[in-house]
Amino acid sequence: MQQFENASAGDIVLSIADRIIENRAYLSEIDGKIGDGDHGVNMAKGFGMAADRIRGNDMSLATAFDTLGTVLMTEIGGSMGPLYGVMFTQFAETIEKSSSIDAPAFSAMLSNGLDGIQSIGSAKVGDKTLLDTLVPAIAAFDAANADGKPFPEALDALVLAAEKGRDSTRDLVARIGRASRLGERSVGVLDAGATSCALILKALALGAKQKLLISATAGR
Amino acid sequence: MTVKTLSARKNGTARAGAEAGTEPIPLRYGDDPYVWACWLYYEDHMTQGDIAEIMGISRATVNSYLADARARGIVNISLEPSRLSSLSIAQELKRHFGLHDCLVVPSDDNTRPLIDRLGGAAAQALAKLLKSGDTLAVAWGRTVLAIAEQASVPGLQDVTVVQATGGTAANFAYTPELCASVMAGAVNARLVNITAPAVVSTAEIRDMLLREPLIESQFDALGKANKALFGISSLRPNSTIHTSGFFESVSLQQYLARNAVGVVAGRFIDGQGKPVAGPLDDRIIGISLDMLKAINLRIAVAGGFDKVPAILAALRGGYVNVLITDAATGRGILNADGVTELDQKLSQRPKIDHRAALPSNFRTHIKKFLNDPNDVVEEMLDGVVKAHAGYIRPIKGSHRALVARTGPRPGKVGLVIGGGTGHEPCFLGYVGKGLADAVAVGNIFSSPPPGTIFQCANAASGGQGVLFVYGNYAGDVMNFDMAAEMAAEHNIEVRTVVTTDDIASSPIEDKEGRRGVAGNFFMFKTAGAACDRGLSLDACEAATRKANARTFTMGVALEPCSMPQTRRQNFEIGPDDIEIGMGIHGERGVIRDKMMSADEIADRVMDRIFSEMKAAPGDRVAVLVNSFGATPLMELYILFRRVEQRLSAKDIKIEANWVGHYCTSLDMVGASISVLHLDNELTELLHHPCDTAVLRIG
Repeated sequence: MQQFENASAGDIVLSIADRIIENRAYLSEIDGKIGDGDHGVNMAKGFGMAADRIRGNDMSLATAFDTLGTVLMTEIGGSMGPLYGVMFTQFAETIEKSSSIDAPAFSAMLSNGLDGIQSIGSAKVGDKTLLDTLVPAIAAFDAANADGKPFPEALDALVLAAEKGRDSTRDLVARIGRASRLGERSVGVLDAGATSCALILKALALGAKQKLLISATAGR
Repeated sequence: MTVKTLSARKNGTARAGAEAGTEPIPLRYGDDPYVWACWLYYEDHMTQGDIAEIMGISRATVNSYLADARARGIVNISLEPSRLSSLSIAQELKRHFGLHDCLVVPSDDNTRPLIDRLGGAAAQALAKLLKSGDTLAVAWGRTVLAIAEQASVPGLQDVTVVQATGGTAANFAYTPELCASVMAGAVNARLVNITAPAVVSTAEIRDMLLREPLIESQFDALGKANKALFGISSLRPNSTIHTSGFFESVSLQQYLARNAVGVVAGRFIDGQGKPVAGPLDDRIIGISLDMLKAINLRIAVAGGFDKVPAILAALRGGYVNVLITDAATGRGILNADGVTELDQKLSQRPKIDHRAALPSNFRTHIKKFLNDPNDVVEEMLDGVVKAHAGYIRPIKGSHRALVARTGPRPGKVGLVIGGGTGHEPCFLGYVGKGLADAVAVGNIFSSPPPGTIFQCANAASGGQGVLFVYGNYAGDVMNFDMAAEMAAEHNIEVRTVVTTDDIASSPIEDKEGRRGVAGNFFMFKTAGAACDRGLSLDACEAATRKANARTFTMGVALEPCSMPQTRRQNFEIGPDDIEIGMGIHGERGVIRDKMMSADEIADRVMDRIFSEMKAAPGDRVAVLVNSFGATPLMELYILFRRVEQRLSAKDIKIEANWVGHYCTSLDMVGASISVLHLDNELTELLHHPCDTAVLRIG
């Protein structure tokens, strides 16, 4: 079966946090071009605080997502706090009852996360936001599943689409958030939220692939 | 030994050739001025000025030769590998465990015992970390004594060293008493010993001793510690903890049986850093793990491969935020915690910087008054709370939620304002009698989270509802809306006025989409006065909405601002350019134009304001000329002068004006002009008395 254990997968969230913290300066730099330059700092702070609470506690993926979502939602503020906060909280709620996670569960998790974001934000695809990464990534994952591709291959498709979506923001005009005040001048620069979202999805997908590999080896 | 060449060089011979001391390139360098310049610089250790003279070229040319020589690989600058590797390990430890700082001693230098080398490194680190006024808790052990013996931090004032545990009669040289007293001597500190045994025979005796006034006062001193210095002890069979006699060996076995892997400041922890319960717990007199964790800077000094599990446990448990160790141990800790990429990173060759040399006055970082950049908001708030203690106090001890001392009262609508930091005196300077009742404080340029805002609403509530007034930014709207929902669940009715005074941020058709900037000042004043007059929530909201609809702001930036955490400017602006339509977050303006005179700039802004403000001759306005942070009052008055000329030319009367720092954007150079088009109601509310840290009327 192509699935991995929820119970021991909390460390995936640690690797997501690691990627965000590593890219703190980069994210702030691209944010500084059209936003206010605090994206990396605030993201690193929130993900770092959550990682401190997760590390060493042997959490399930659901609990680790919940910890991250709660920290982002309640302690970080800014716009990314609530947006990513609601996404991770939705991830957690979707999978909290599942002992193992297969491709349909993973897909449901992503979709509910997206619904959460859309319930509090008003952005659409093409507005130069994190949705330009998240929406095509989920679509690619679901399409790969529909084609009967194995779970790991669907995860590869997810990462590819996320990065393509991120890159698409370079040519978009910002229509929401602080960058939107710049109008046409926002063209030519990546959106910081779309970039951090691609980092998150890639770390999530790689983590899931690793877990799949472990459970496949163990099952043999 | 100079060999003269006949081939004249392109540069300089004509000018410098006649001078004494002018040396053509010796033969062995051929015709290569790069090699010659490098030789003189790196081998003969001459200054660039001397080389310029010798070669008969300008100093700038020497500088570019040297830079090109590095880029072309004529010169390779390399770091000594063992030092590079200890630096990489330190950086990785710092990142991986989220440490405040980490120092790693190279492992290949085996001339001195490890404890001495760690002691020496820690002694040097202590000289940087210890400040006047600190209270340092000092634990005991061989390493701690080695640090104390090598430490020397002269010039400190009012430092206190407190022994972190009780004393011991054990027969070893590094007793708690000695460690603390040698350290106190080394840093010129007042010494507080704990004059009780570290381990007593029963829990009752411990409790009795702790109630003794003398020992109680010594523990009070320990409780004030803001820095701690301690070793980490392994529980492996060869550890000195077994032979020191500090703990009874029978009890030690019981802790071992419960998976204790290390001892931190006399307390046992397991592999994850969790406290291990055991028979000694109630009989130890000394710092507890909770007390330790509450200390701001927790410096652990430990090395040796047998200590890897113990140090890792202490790091996982969060007892340490400054680690001083050696390279082998550091690598072992990282490997044990699953970091494997380090070796790949170390094997990568250091990158060579190919950028051209920059002039000596080029800055890569902006100078700022900072300690730890990560603490900038907390430290500022610490200062604010103390400086303005007469006006504001923390809600439930949090500096992120501040309430006016004489603000909220039963029967009055509460006014809550807030937003990110970096705009000081916005928003916390406007909290006090007659103005806002509470302020929620976020990170730099970043909205506060909902919980903080809700606490403010709760504190501001006088039973008649609460008004939220804040600038229109996506993050603020989301967080304040969530807080409003939380308040509703607690039966507090919340109304929200989102300010949108920045006329440059969107066209008039999208007035609701505009951002709120310095004109907030007028909205806060209006709302605060309406609330203080005891108007209903409806009336307070309506007055504030009216003020918002009649306030027009536009800003101009001359230079960008720089973020404390990066100390870099957060966007670029050309030497001759200005940004018109600047917001208060360092986000770029809407139009970039060439630099122009103060009057031309003021005219550009006033023309835009007049195009929207339908003021008739004889109407009255209030004016705010606001600095973005770095623009001095001198220039603000020059702008105000022109604003006044333009208004009086239209026979518009200035009822009141403010010139200064009212809503800033860190250190941005620039200013904004806000005009409030008054009517009778707004005029009355504007003159209503208020008393806050930055605004006093009546």
